[in-house]
This record gives sequence, structure tokens and C-alpha cells, in this order.
Amino acid sequence: MNKTKSNRLRIFCSLLFCFIIGSKIAAQSVRVSGKVLSSEWGSLEGLTVIILPGNLTTITDKKGHFYFNNIPKDSKILKINHAGYLPYEMKLSLNETSILLPDIFLKPEIKELQEVVITDHFGLRRKKEESLNIETVNSSFIQRNLGGSLMQSLQRIPGVKTISIGSGGSKPLIRGLSFNQVIVVENGIKHEGQQWGADHGLEIDQYAVNRVEIIKGPSSFMYGSDAIGGAVNIKPIPTPSKNTFGGSVDFTGKSNNEQFGGSINLFGRNEKWFFDTRMTVMDYGDYRVPTDTVHVYNYAVSLYKNHLRNTAGRELDLHASTGYVTEKFKSVFYVSNVYSKSGFFANAHGLEPRNVDTELHDKSNRDILMPFQEVTHTKISNTTSFQLANHQVETQLGFQKNFRREWSHYVNHGFMPPIYPDAMYAPKDLERQYDKQVFSVAVKDEFSLNKHQISVGINAEQQQNDINGWSFLIPAFTQFNTGLFAYDKMQLNELWLLHGAVRLDYGKIEMEQYNDWFPSEITENGQTTSQYLKRSEDLTRTFNSFNWSAGVNYTPGKLSLKANLGTSFRIPIAKELASNGVNYHYFRFEKGDPNLAAERSYQLDLGMDWQANKWSFQLSPFFNYFPNYIYLNPTSQHDIYYGAGNQVFEYEQSKVMRYGGELQTRYQFLQNLSVEILAEYLYSEQLSGSKKGYTLPFSPPASVLFGINYSPQIKNLKDTYFSLDYRYTAAQNQIVPPEKKTASSNIFNLALGTKLKTGQQDFIISLQVQNLLNTKYLNHTSFYRLIELPEASRNIILSLKVPFLIHKSN
Amino acid sequence: MKTIKIVKLALLHISMAFFFTACSSDSPEIDTEYPVIDISAVNTFPVQCSEITRGQKIMFRTKFTDNTELGSYSLDIHHNFDHHTHSTEVNDCVADPIKKPINPMLYINSVTIPAGQKSYEAVQEINIPQDIDPGDYHFLIRLTDKEGWQTIKGLSIKIL
Repeated sequence: MNKTKSNRLRIFCSLLFCFIIGSKIAAQSVRVSGKVLSSEWGSLEGLTVIILPGNLTTITDKKGHFYFNNIPKDSKILKINHAGYLPYEMKLSLNETSILLPDIFLKPEIKELQEVVITDHFGLRRKKEESLNIETVNSSFIQRNLGGSLMQSLQRIPGVKTISIGSGGSKPLIRGLSFNQVIVVENGIKHEGQQWGADHGLEIDQYAVNRVEIIKGPSSFMYGSDAIGGAVNIKPIPTPSKNTFGGSVDFTGKSNNEQFGGSINLFGRNEKWFFDTRMTVMDYGDYRVPTDTVHVYNYAVSLYKNHLRNTAGRELDLHASTGYVTEKFKSVFYVSNVYSKSGFFANAHGLEPRNVDTELHDKSNRDILMPFQEVTHTKISNTTSFQLANHQVETQLGFQKNFRREWSHYVNHGFMPPIYPDAMYAPKDLERQYDKQVFSVAVKDEFSLNKHQISVGINAEQQQNDINGWSFLIPAFTQFNTGLFAYDKMQLNELWLLHGAVRLDYGKIEMEQYNDWFPSEITENGQTTSQYLKRSEDLTRTFNSFNWSAGVNYTPGKLSLKANLGTSFRIPIAKELASNGVNYHYFRFEKGDPNLAAERSYQLDLGMDWQANKWSFQLSPFFNYFPNYIYLNPTSQHDIYYGAGNQVFEYEQSKVMRYGGELQTRYQFLQNLSVEILAEYLYSEQLSGSKKGYTLPFSPPASVLFGINYSPQIKNLKDTYFSLDYRYTAAQNQIVPPEKKTASSNIFNLALGTKLKTGQQDFIISLQVQNLLNTKYLNHTSFYRLIELPEASRNIILSLKVPFLIHKSN
Repeated sequence: MKTIKIVKLALLHISMAFFFTACSSDSPEIDTEYPVIDISAVNTFPVQCSEITRGQKIMFRTKFTDNTELGSYSLDIHHNFDHHTHSTEVNDCVADPIKKPINPMLYINSVTIPAGQKSYEAVQEINIPQDIDPGDYHFLIRLTDKEGWQTIKGLSIKIL
């Protein structure tokens, strides 16, 4: 095994070596060089430049330069076609042996500025300038890979998975970490919902996303607590061009859950004022799985016509932003409201797997009956940036309200009365309610000093959390966090870039006492009394943390190398400190530990990137160590009071080691045919505590994706593509109670799309067939994995985007 | 130039080696087996569709096994007058019509199994009061092992 490995390595390295040599000896007579720029983004990296006839291609480097060393003298045309820009053509007359062309300025396609593409070259540059591993995708990537929710659409990126519930919700899982260990930032503000819950998705409208940056690694030094596993940074939409008025309409239909929906966007700008609005509507039915029986913890449940009972849902999202822009000043107000209502699989919610009224439930696959949840997330913010001499200052003010309710029939347990009292403070079927309100403020200053590019900043956040409902899991609490950071990026020379960051954080969490609303009978010393039991105490905890990060980038031409070493931290959340109740999704009793310390992490990240004419290769391994990972440990005990005999899970801390990496490689066979291999691997192990030797929950298995992409040039069509992805996911045999081993799977996805031009109007069409062969398989990191629920059956997704421009003048 | 190339290749080797050794590391032996609720013995009670009379004491008797060490078990008897739940067993019992509870029996108890046992015969006396509602009940057995793996068995019984 080892021998084959080293052989493979040798072959690989020799090929690499040949390539380096090969590119050196190819100096010939006619040489053409130039530079490609855009007025908005400066030099453009990673663009393909084509010489016709002969179809010679090259790719621009990080300064936008391109060179052709050896081209025939009869070459006539130079062409650049790049999504988001108007096609560019230049006639060549090659009389001399060496020609330096004037700078080429590409013009952005105004109509698409909203939707596309600050794109590849921007992403590439970010990769080379950051020592952490960063992936950038844009809205066209999302449209091509459209899933039921934003994170599901991003799953193609190696190292990024999701913990999904149903067809419309998911939480990011970056290199095996999720929930409060991954931060989501939208428009510069940390998204605050109920991150800890696996039972609902992120309250983000994926149609409103223009560009997403995913940091696969600890980024506490930038974002503070919670960014210990990574960050998903949803960038603000770019401001429209001057004197434009336009928009776009999106339609999406999905076969599996009979979903239909869409989004309408309108934007406009005169010289300095602009606005941008959007409305997204979605409605979907119960989704289908390729099985007719599910085993909910040994309880067999039959499904009607493969429909997962009561998983229908709907969503209504509204966004509006307006602002004022000049060259040195920009101020933007955002308001958004994201609402969703979705059902839970009716047989798997409560104190035990339940029998449901199948006649009622199976009457329609579009109704949402109990149990279901409703989430409303409101955001209001202002971002203002201005230039003061050498300083670029940005201030941010934000308010968020996350209001989440879970509705379910009242089920008494413990000493709860069998009949729900009329005079109760909560409505009868309100199982839980979480009401979170967050105020946040941040100031950042960026400036350069000789070779240093320095950012300093301060941010603070105050949140208030109230609870309601007949059940109890987490107490009400208030929390205050503040942090101070400094980050220095130093360009030593053309090749070397150094990074250093330090950050100080303070956090305070105050939990409120909670008493049962019903009396319990307690027997002490032979005396039985009736008491309103205390489920949680008044408790205040404070946390301080100092974190640092240091990194280096080395970019000699096509190769770029990076390394980063840093610490990260996370303040324990209220659930980990003070939960004391039944989790109705998993039929278990969860208990917090008020003495938990702040989680800490040390991580080494490496990265190697090779971008050549026809191929690219990227490898990003990491090693991570937690001295005190917070882990929900299944004990061998049962709770016989409030827990109704369910198994007790307790929060504990243990030493954890994790390592793994991602590999991405791409080869351009022909101008319009390319193949791609994306692979990921992760290993986690608890090194101490009661689950020593076990892995962590939701550990994604290794997987590799082979993709082939054909993008022919067809008359009247633009950006046409046909792509087939085959993903092999290895078995996951490393499990921890209560998980089950998950078998390997082979899944095919097909995607095709094009941009149709009729007159001045564009139609962007994309079609996807997910799970092409209708394979029955389990996803180890799915919320419903524990109840042996297979993933969705074949799903055909059709989407159409129609951008329009009502008015434009220069 | 040459040194740079060597550096490049060395770095490549290091990172590749890291990636591949990462793939082939072995995990230590851990217990991934569920405990077993064994109802095959003749004197096991109750079983699916057992009938129990009010005002009597019944004797719960079942054998538990595990590959390493048993943890604890809990017993839960609650009414199923609303047909809210069903059993884990293949054969169904004949259920009475749906009715409203007035004074249903509720019994929840848990027992920690003595340390070090791989096999354990659980025996427990349960008092069925005279004044409770008769009808369909559920008898739920939850068994854990030391590591926290849990097996559930839900039986449908009738109290007469």
C-alpha cells in the first residue's frame, strides 16, 4: 500500500517537474502580451484569453497580465469571453516579433451586475492573499447547484456539508463542525438565530445572496466567539451602476417536493442614491424518499406514496436596502424579514415515536399540520464607510429579532396534569418559543503604513432571550459580548505575504431561574410534599479570552503556498450551561453543566495551490486540537421525572484532535471540456473523557466527487454547460452513541443550463437532476439519519432567471 | 532557481504525505454495539399483547445482555387510549376504541444495573392499582449499556 502510494507520488511529482521544464523551453518568435482590467475591480486574474484561428489560450495572472510566447503570424483575432463582462474582441496584425498590446478594459454587463460575478478572479485573489483556506462562490454557482436551502446549494464545495432537516432547512457543517461552532455573517453582521438547533435551518434567503465566502478554519480573530470552526460570510450585494433602473425575476420548480417559488428583484440608482428590493416566495409539499417504511428507533412507520409525512413548508422573504454613495463615502440601510413555516416528520416528534392520524395527514401532501415550526427573522442595519486621509473607516449598527415557535399537541410527562389547564400562560399547543433580540455595533479602521496593511476594530453585541411554551429546555438569558482586534497584513515583497492578528474578548451570560408551572410530588425523609421544582438557577458567568493568529503566503508565479497557525474560542451557550429538559426530536433528556469553561482550539492550516494554463491543483490539509471541546455525552442513566424515562445526555468537556483536508483539481482537456476532482477527508477523535477513543457526532465521511463539464459554443446561446457529477461517499464506521454506522453511497447529479438571448432580453435557464438514479442511501450528517430515513429521491429542479433593465443612461 | 524547485517539491511531498497518512490512520477499539433486550425466555413478562388485571402485583422479568457492560434500564407504563403510539413488535394487538383518560395509570422507574454485568436478569415487582382506568397501555423498556448505547422495546398490553 505504502509502496503504491510513494510510486503514485513520484509519478505525480515527475509530471509536475516535466511541466515546469516544458514551459521554460518554449520561447519562439512571435510574442504577444497585454493586460486585462476592469474599471471597478482593477486587474483581472484568471480570465481566459483566446487567439483565433488556432484556438490558443492562456490565463491572466494575478496582475491581469497575459503572454503568448509562440503564436502563428497569421493569427487575426484576440478574444476574451468572461461571464459578467461584455465579450471583447480585438483584431491583430502581427508584423513584429514581439508586441505589447495596449491595456484591455472589460466592461461589465450592467444587467447582470446584480446577480453575477465579481467572480473567479476575485476569489482567486482572495485565496492568494489570505493565509486561511477561503472559498468564494457567487449567485450563478448557487443557481447551478440550487438546493432546498443556501447551505444545501453550497455542498459541492469540498469541506462544506450540511446538517439538513427536511427539504427546506439546513445548518452549515464545515469540516465536521456546526451549530455554534460556525458563524454566519450577512451584510457584515453576525447572524443570530437559534444556531444550536439541528431541527431548523438558517434564516437566510438564498436568492438574495450575491457572493459567499466560506472560511474553512478558525476565524475567531476576525469574528469573535463561535467562529471556532469556520465562517460563512454572505457579502452585501454590490451597489447598482449609476443611472440604472432594473431588476430580475427568478422562477424555480422542484419535482420531488412539488415546490414552486421565485424571487423578484428591483434596483435603481441615480448619481448617488440607490435602492434594492427583493421578495422571495416559496411553497413546497411533503418530500419523497425512495422507501415505503421508515424505522424510527425500531418502530416501523409506513409512508404513504413515499411521502415523508408533514414535511411541507412555505417561506416568504422581504428585503429592502437603500443608500448614498460617493467616491469617499457610502452609507447603506438594510431591512429584511425572513419567514418560514414547516412541518416536522409527524411520526418522530414527542416523548416517543408516535402513531399519527394517517387519514388526516395523508389527505394532502401540501398541508402543514402539527407538529410544525414557524420562524421569523427580522434584520435592520446600517453600514457606513468613509475615507479619512489614509484611513478607511467602517461603522455598523444592527438589530435582529429571531422569533421561533414550535407547535405540537400537549403531551403530559412527569407530574404535568393530564389535561392542559385553561388558565395557562401559553397557548395550548405551543410546545416551545424562543424570542431573541440582538443589538450589535462595530467600528473598523483599515489603513496602510509602509508595507503594512492594518485593520483595527471593536465590536459589541447585547442579546435578550425570552422563552415561552408548555415545555422547558433552556432558560431565558441575556448575553453581552465585546471584542477588540488588530490585524496586520505585511507584503514583504512580490513573493511573501505575512499575517498577524490578535484579539481580546469579553463575554457575560446571565441565565434566569425557571420553575415548573406544575407541582411535582417529592418524597424526602418519608414526607411527600408538592413543590414547583426549579429547573434552572439564576446564574451569571463571565469569560475572557485572548486569541492570536499568524500566517504566511508564498506566491512564486503559478504556485502558491500558505500556512496559518492560530487559536480560536467559543463561549458556552445557554443550552450547554443550563438546559434541563426533553429534546422531543431525539427522545432524550438533556442536561447542561453550569461550570463549563470556554471552548478553545488550536489549528494549523496549510494550503498549496497550482494554477496553470490547462489545469489547477489545490490541497488544503489542517490539524486541529481542542483541550476542552464541549460535547453532549449520552450517559447510561434515565430520567424518571420530567424526562419520562428517557435517556440522559449531559454536557461534558473533552480533549479532541481533528485533522483532514480537501483536494481540488481541475483539468481543461479542450477549450470547452473540463474534468474536476474534489475530495475531502476528516478524522476526529476524543482523547479524554467518558467517550475517549470515540469520534465526534455528525462526522462527515470521506468523499470524492468526479465532475465533467462540457460548455459548447452555440449560436444565440451563451454560457451553455452540461455537467455530470458523480460523488462517492465512503462508509462512516466511526460513530459515537446514539449514531449508527452509515454505508457508502454512489450518487449522480446532472446539470445543464444556458443563457438565451432574444433581442435585448436574456433568459438564464438551468436544469438539475439530483440523485439521477433514484438511489436509496443514507446521509450520515442528516438530522433524520438517526431514524434511518433515506435521502430524497430523484429531484428535478428547473430554474429560470430573467434579468431586465428598464432604464440606463450614462 | 534550483533551490526553489527543491523547496517546492519538498513542500509538495510534505503536504501529500500529510494527506495520505491522514487517510490511513487506525482508530482504537471502541464499543459500537447496542445492548440487547432478550424476550426469548419462557418466563419473560410482559410480552406483546399480555393482559394484566387491576389490583394485582405483576412481576416484570426480562433478560438483558451486552457485549461489554450493561448500564441501566427504565420502565414506563402509560396509557394508549388515544392510539398515539404503537409497538416495536411485528404483530399488532387488538385495540379498544379511542377514549378520554380520567385516571390513567402512569408508572416510570429506572434501575441501575450492577457494574460489570454482561448479562442480567431484570426482575421487578409492579403494583397495578385498583382505581385506574382499564384499557390499552404501553409498556416501554429502555436499556442502555455503559457507553450510552440504548435499545428500546415498546409493548402493547391491556389492563383489565
